[in-house]
Amino acid sequence: MALTTTTEEVAGRVPITVLALDGELDASNFERLIVEVSGLYDRGTRNLLVDLGGLTFLASSGLVALHSIVRILHGERPDDLDSGWDVLHHLGHDAATGDEMQREVQLAAPPPAVARVLQRTGMDRLFVIHEGRDAAIAAF
Amino acid sequence: MVLTARSLRVDARVGALAEVRTFIRSAAADAGAPAECLEDLVQAVDEAATNTIVHGYDGAPGWIEVGAGLEDDRFVIRMEDAAPEFDPTSVPEPDMSISPMDRRPGGMGVHLIRACTDTMSYRPRPGGGNILTLVRATGPDWTKEG
Repeated sequence: MALTTTTEEVAGRVPITVLALDGELDASNFERLIVEVSGLYDRGTRNLLVDLGGLTFLASSGLVALHSIVRILHGERPDDLDSGWDVLHHLGHDAATGDEMQREVQLAAPPPAVARVLQRTGMDRLFVIHEGRDAAIAAF
Repeated sequence: MVLTARSLRVDARVGALAEVRTFIRSAAADAGAPAECLEDLVQAVDEAATNTIVHGYDGAPGWIEVGAGLEDDRFVIRMEDAAPEFDPTSVPEPDMSISPMDRRPGGMGVHLIRACTDTMSYRPRPGGGNILTLVRATGPDWTKEG
């Protein structure tokens, strides 16, 4: 199953772009997702909710995409994929206090298998993860 | 010798990953794997195949063969390729104490293979290439050991 994306602008407490993913996010399409979010940022998106409710598979390459999406929303360049993904990056989180959870990109509705991938890789420490889209929009 | 109930051979390209996942999902389901375990096995095989395609063949043409089946009380997956030799069991565990933002974002594939299987073993393929064997015990309820 291929990956399809749909975007929607929502007026919450702040303007939010909701990016819904449907299908499988893997090594064949994660770069396309990064390009798409770069375009959203260029067109003004500063708060992004990624709705994972329709995601049936998340590969580690999809985690690279999520990592890059955070960088993009912080106004930085996405990860350098040509360097074999072997890159280290630092964002402005406060390592001293352990407050590493940024809020510009938040996630909603991960199915159990997707939630396990986020948890097993520690990526759940990087995102506020909401059970549903409406609660997520209210929380931005 | 691993007895494989079925096998699939695909070209080494990322566009073939969906077919590999469909194959292993079907093989594991036919062997009676419960849903959560089935998703683990799909994850492990996808990560291993991705590593072979992206890092092993690195754009060069090639193939991957996946065999899977029950062997006594174990579900055994054997993955074979002709890419340059690389032993994924030599990859160290990521330091999970480091913030996910500062960790190598692409270093999670082998970690997920370990998390999703009971054992991962490697040997070079005679004549060139790699043979990776992934095992998940089937009882009770295919629960991951350890």
